[in-house]
Amino acid sequence: MKDFEPKIIGFLCTWCSYAGADLAGTSRIQYPSNIRIIRVMCSGRVNPMFVVNALQQGADGVLIGGCHPGDCHYQHGNYQARRRITMMKKLLEFLGIEPDRVRMTWVSAAEGRKFAQVIEEVTEDIRKLGPMKQVRRKNEW
Amino acid sequence: MVDQKELINAVKETVSREDVRYIVGYEEGTYGFETAPSFAYTSDDARKFIFNPLCTKNLVVYPILEEKLPLKREEQEDDRKIGIVVKGCDSRALVQILQEKGLKRENLVLIGIPCTGVVNTKKIKDKFPNQTEYTDVKEEKNHYVFSIEESVQKIPKKELLADVCKECEYPNPVIFDILIGEETEVETEPTYIEVREFEEKSLSEKWEYWKKHFENCIRCYACREACPLCYCKTCMADFLDPQWIRRSVDLSENTAWNIMRAFHLAGRCVSCGECERACPAEIPLMKLNKVLEKEIRELYDYTAGLDPEEKTLFGTFNPDDPEEFIM
Repeated sequence: MKDFEPKIIGFLCTWCSYAGADLAGTSRIQYPSNIRIIRVMCSGRVNPMFVVNALQQGADGVLIGGCHPGDCHYQHGNYQARRRITMMKKLLEFLGIEPDRVRMTWVSAAEGRKFAQVIEEVTEDIRKLGPMKQVRRKNEW
Repeated sequence: MVDQKELINAVKETVSREDVRYIVGYEEGTYGFETAPSFAYTSDDARKFIFNPLCTKNLVVYPILEEKLPLKREEQEDDRKIGIVVKGCDSRALVQILQEKGLKRENLVLIGIPCTGVVNTKKIKDKFPNQTEYTDVKEEKNHYVFSIEESVQKIPKKELLADVCKECEYPNPVIFDILIGEETEVETEPTYIEVREFEEKSLSEKWEYWKKHFENCIRCYACREACPLCYCKTCMADFLDPQWIRRSVDLSENTAWNIMRAFHLAGRCVSCGECERACPAEIPLMKLNKVLEKEIRELYDYTAGLDPEEKTLFGTFNPDDPEEFIM
């Protein structure tokens, strides 16, 4: 059997995490190509339903990246995202869906190295969890 | 026990006020152990009003469900008050709506009733399956008294009490204009024992449990319609673009719907138990609401529906919120 390569969707905030990913790229730091990045204006933009829909439609994990606490371009978007994602993880755990499939990270625009490390860690964790089984959408017709 | 006469008099008095349009309360139902919502427009209508342990429904949905027809030319909007008969949990749902500015306090008259717990109608129906006519239930100390066909039956309160009422912290209305009867003493602190026991299980056991239930879900959205706090004009489940949830009834979409429903009530649910009561597939929806309530209490020390001036859970934040999981 072929080795399992996880698909990870990354919602990165345009001001910090996305710039951090950009820096990792321009600094030629190697990191796993399992992440598919979606740029959002703020981590507070991430509706928890984005996470559920991503898991339904083929993602094995979701990473949400925002600015460090206090650094949000919109003052408090990341604080609000933090509360929402915390509750989402608790709910998923209660339902029996591995909460580690949903990860959150603070990466600033200067942390290209940290971004690469985070992606490596997340990819390894999700590789261990295996493919998402519970809520995968069936496209049968 | 609430004095029937006192309730009727209070309703009569309130509805005859000039600034009150109508009052929503309970009346005898037409079948078995069901009560029905009753609308009093005149003081004469107030005769029908009752209150007993069968009055399970949360009437707070009515002022929001009310259809507002477009005004005719030169017609003035009827901005008279609406009266509602509220129990403890109903009043908390109302506080939550006031917090979110869904209704205005000055448009409401609240007749508060200190509640001693309502019954689980499903359990009664199992006990008396052949009862087709409306039957009154009285509460006497720790028993419910049924008088069916000239025989009187006493059943211990514990057997029939609704699950949500067993750990009720706020049986007395939080806000009211008129209070009927004496305040109930609060005995219990919530232990969340059911939720805690369930949390001990392994992930696969938990998923097996929910999978079984979510496969039964027929997506009738009765839980949404019965919930006093699901009052969005367009529910996200009805959106077509973006379509958050597909219409097909299968495990994946049912799970997404149930996650969404529970999540949209996080920090708002007041544990009235209407969703579970309305569910035809008997999905234990209150478990989902309760676990979020418990986590929110532990993490953020927040309880929904206590102070109309307070801000909502997800509308506020604390820089020191826990964040162990963040990398």
